[in-house]
Amino acid sequence: MKERLHKDVVIIGAGMAGLTAALYCGRMNLDTLVLENGIIGGQIANATDIENYPGFVSVKGGDLISTVQTQAENFGAVIDEFDEIEKVTLKTSPKIIETQEKIYEADVVIIASGMNRRKLPLPEEKKFAGRGVHYCELCDGHAYDGKIIAVMGGGNAAVDAANFLTKYAKKLYLIHRSEFRADEVSQKRLRANDKVTIMLQTEIKALRGDKRLEEVEIFDKKSGETKTLAIDGIFVNIGVEPNTALFKDELTLTASGRISAGEDCRTEIDGVFAAGDVREKEIRQLTTAASDGTTAALLAEKYLAKLKG
Amino acid sequence: MKVTVFGFEDCPFCQKTKRFLQARGVEYEVRDIELDEEAAAECKRISGDLAVPVTTIDGKNYVVGFDKRKIEELLASA
Repeated sequence: MKERLHKDVVIIGAGMAGLTAALYCGRMNLDTLVLENGIIGGQIANATDIENYPGFVSVKGGDLISTVQTQAENFGAVIDEFDEIEKVTLKTSPKIIETQEKIYEADVVIIASGMNRRKLPLPEEKKFAGRGVHYCELCDGHAYDGKIIAVMGGGNAAVDAANFLTKYAKKLYLIHRSEFRADEVSQKRLRANDKVTIMLQTEIKALRGDKRLEEVEIFDKKSGETKTLAIDGIFVNIGVEPNTALFKDELTLTASGRISAGEDCRTEIDGVFAAGDVREKEIRQLTTAASDGTTAALLAEKYLAKLKG
Repeated sequence: MKVTVFGFEDCPFCQKTKRFLQARGVEYEVRDIELDEEAAAECKRISGDLAVPVTTIDGKNYVVGFDKRKIEELLASA
């Protein structure tokens, strides 16, 4: 029989939005629990150099998030990164979050479950995942010291990943099916590196290898040519998908799979807030994630005050 | 039983694995594959690769990555 516990606020996700919400909830003396199924920090935990977060010239994602985690915990928020959520029921009062080990009853739920990287849409992906196809540069880049690396994608995450991986690669290809969407600053840094070959308007059509990835087949859309490149490892950065599978029966999701909520982070269910990248919005940055976390926490406190009369 | 975690400092899943073992009260040794060439060679010998974290008991049975259930099974098997 699972233990039943009551919490003022349960925050789902310990990325920047979730931890900022936890920090604010903690400061307001709310009994706050943060549940995280992946890694604390989410996407940002893998970021190597963050240069657009105010207050820091350059900071590692892991260091920044670790500080926010400490702030949240110092104000009494509890973070559980090992007990996985199995089911959520949001329309009841209190709301129910069932994990592998416990059942939490919560007056407020803040959903800050963020995004996961989109998988490489090729049938061979499963065969080579972890054996030449990777989704975390910081975790797996070191295994390609002195080897040939490809980065797939053309946004900021892809170009930043490519810049980071040049420290290991003897040769690095950046392969993208259309044009760059990354910031000029990051693009310039990449273009200036002699190890790098940029292949735009190029698609990866197939992955080949015996036990590990050995080569990729690419298609140049401009010339119509198909070529084979010897590649030891490919790091996939072709976008992200919202982590909303848990909520699809409880909340209306938008066409992109995100949660519909305004700038006040309120969802269609009273006492349920959506914060950070998981919320449907135009701008998704680390700063706006922190902003959402703040807004959700402050409005959660107002909701709780009204609820408790 | 000697539990060893092969990894490196900035690796988020290595950190999570270590926190998990601490939370379970398991004593373990950390070997850094970036700073220690012998550790990297040993990691490769055990798992056949340099993907980390690798959690191992006595260098025989091992789990690659952070997988709570598999690590629990590994610990229970000792």
